[in-house]
Amino acid sequence: MDLLPTEEQEEIITTVRSQLERNFDLHSLAHLDGAESVVDSSLWRQCAELGWFGLGLPEALGGVGYTLAEEALLFAEIGSHAAPGPFLATVLAARVASLVGATELATQILAGEQLVALAEPHGDGNAVAGATVSGTFRVTDFGGADLVLVLVGISAAIVAAKDLVAEPMASLDRLVPTAIGTVSEVPALCYQEEAAALRLRATVLIAAELAGIATATAAQSTQYAKDREQFGTPIGSFQAVKHRCADMAVLADAANSLVRYSAIAVLDGQTDAAFHAHAARVVATRAAIENSQINVQNHGGIGFTYEHTAHRFVTRAQVRSRTVGDLRSHLSGLLEQPAAL
Amino acid sequence: MNLDLTAEELAFREEASTWLRDNLPTETRPPEGQEMRAFDLDWQRTLFDGGWAGINWPTEYGGRGLTDIQQMIWYEEFAKANPPFTLNNSCTFVGNLHGGPTIIVNGNEEQRSTYLPQILRGEAVWCQGFSEPGSGSDLASLSTKAEIDGDYLVVTGQKTWTSYAHVADVQELLVRTDPTAPKHKGITWVVCDMKSPGIEIREIRTMSHVTDFCEVFYDEVRIPMSNIVGGLNNGWRTAMSTLGFERGTAFMADQVELAATVERLIEEARVRLGPDGKRPAINDDELARRLSLARAEVAALRAMTITGISRNARSETPGPEGSIVRLFHGELHQRVYQLALDIIGVDALRLTEVDGDGVWTGPYLQSFAYTIGGGTSDIQRNIVGERVLGLPRA
Repeated sequence: MDLLPTEEQEEIITTVRSQLERNFDLHSLAHLDGAESVVDSSLWRQCAELGWFGLGLPEALGGVGYTLAEEALLFAEIGSHAAPGPFLATVLAARVASLVGATELATQILAGEQLVALAEPHGDGNAVAGATVSGTFRVTDFGGADLVLVLVGISAAIVAAKDLVAEPMASLDRLVPTAIGTVSEVPALCYQEEAAALRLRATVLIAAELAGIATATAAQSTQYAKDREQFGTPIGSFQAVKHRCADMAVLADAANSLVRYSAIAVLDGQTDAAFHAHAARVVATRAAIENSQINVQNHGGIGFTYEHTAHRFVTRAQVRSRTVGDLRSHLSGLLEQPAAL
Repeated sequence: MNLDLTAEELAFREEASTWLRDNLPTETRPPEGQEMRAFDLDWQRTLFDGGWAGINWPTEYGGRGLTDIQQMIWYEEFAKANPPFTLNNSCTFVGNLHGGPTIIVNGNEEQRSTYLPQILRGEAVWCQGFSEPGSGSDLASLSTKAEIDGDYLVVTGQKTWTSYAHVADVQELLVRTDPTAPKHKGITWVVCDMKSPGIEIREIRTMSHVTDFCEVFYDEVRIPMSNIVGGLNNGWRTAMSTLGFERGTAFMADQVELAATVERLIEEARVRLGPDGKRPAINDDELARRLSLARAEVAALRAMTITGISRNARSETPGPEGSIVRLFHGELHQRVYQLALDIIGVDALRLTEVDGDGVWTGPYLQSFAYTIGGGTSDIQRNIVGERVLGLPRA
């Protein structure tokens, strides 16, 4: 039993981090704010070449052959850098396509040649994702997408983006293009009606991304508390600020520890896997929202500016906490589980 | 990253669960006095005879030399066995988790062979003499003085918040041996015989109505110099190693038990009427959300504990990160019992014992200790801020 990354996993983290720092710098990406697509296709293919989209997919299915544990570490880094783009939709769609035998489609997604948007029901309790897809959906990263992964409950379907009409809205997170569309009986390219396992993985990966947001904002506040001086001393020497930084570190540790635990519980097929996936989502959601918000406060006036990246984490936390369920649904999902003792 | 248990760990779990089934006492723990002491020492002796004392202590000092993971498994099996008392609510706590580990690290061979077997066999109750009326969070300002007289330290002063002093045989005591040195440099850690002439103990009643909290007065108490652990004037470093244990794994049992407590609370919420007087409490949206959140947070606590064990396995001595878990645990423990009072409805008005089956209000009152004892939450935040995050001191 061990919840710290192995040396090999540390190497994956280092590689991922260097790519994100080099090519997903938030200041450099700011020109994409409000755009319908935030994906640079050559950069996307570069991520594909690094194996990001098939990291947790078996080699026999065209993947890299690591597991959900490494995938969770990847998504924690994506969260830490608030990297925009349809990472989750891509990873999940590649998995669905390869599991149902749509090998060519899977290969194109894994190579970063087909861009995938994510659709989830938008206040529509009757939405369907099966052989055909119907309902009102919220679609993220729709602009420039070739495919749309539709998630409804435990079902998943992939449809051609050209078969969908969706109206862009002014998105809260300027780097997560969001559109609303209503469709009726759009034929799926492939689908999985019983994709509970996929949803569980998605729950863990979003939790990982949220935990990454909690980690990054804790680190940002701590660094600022060391650098910024007022009253002739770093503000981190004042307990009011120091204690907030400590609380942020506690929340980030809680989220990261539980996310890692849940990734392995799901990976190992433990009977309490769903329990821990829901729990991880709950704890990571609260950590991301709380830390991203207090991070603005810790930065004072500069934190309130558009120029500073603090607001990026605030809006990303709000969007991701509503992706693949929300706090409420995961709280009730958790309470329905049998005790995990 | 893995959750695998080795064949040895699995066998250990099986062994622990079988033994607990056959040997766990069925009677509840007497709440105070010599009866309580006898109960706690009997249980410690039973543990020793069964081979369960000092699970993660080195074998050369009478322990089993097993890992922290096995120690955690033991606590989990204990919690699962539906025990009539909580593990750490015992006058054997300081010896097992405080004094003993300190002597293992800092003691000499004679001290180890004198004190460690007594602790493991349930032959001695230890208490802690750290805090003073004028020295709480600022522990290093302590002023209980010890003057050297030949082969003896002569101690005069006062300690407080000393749990179980009235039933203790020995005390881990911090005294000022060099009043001229900087405050961290003139302190000595010494083992004090509680039967020594010149010691007076007064019980203090706590807000949870327990009387095992004490203040201790010393009037020229003579302690042999050979009882000094870790060297004269080196007591601060010795004490810090003790606190490292306390913040590291000493509260693992409480943390494991808290998960079981939340599950019991969920059961209560299924059978008790909720605030509307019609449906079970668990059908109340607000209570259900808080219960679920408590479930998620105790799961996080367990994962944090495992992260801490993983970290310790790489570093030998527990680092300041233990304060992260301690801080999260103390506040979560309180939230759980605050929630309990909202779940049990009218029974929230009935005072219970602090320990036992189906009691909630006593533990609620007792829960206030969890963010004060062993360093207040404010001090834990300072430690996390300064020693984990590297923020400047005030």
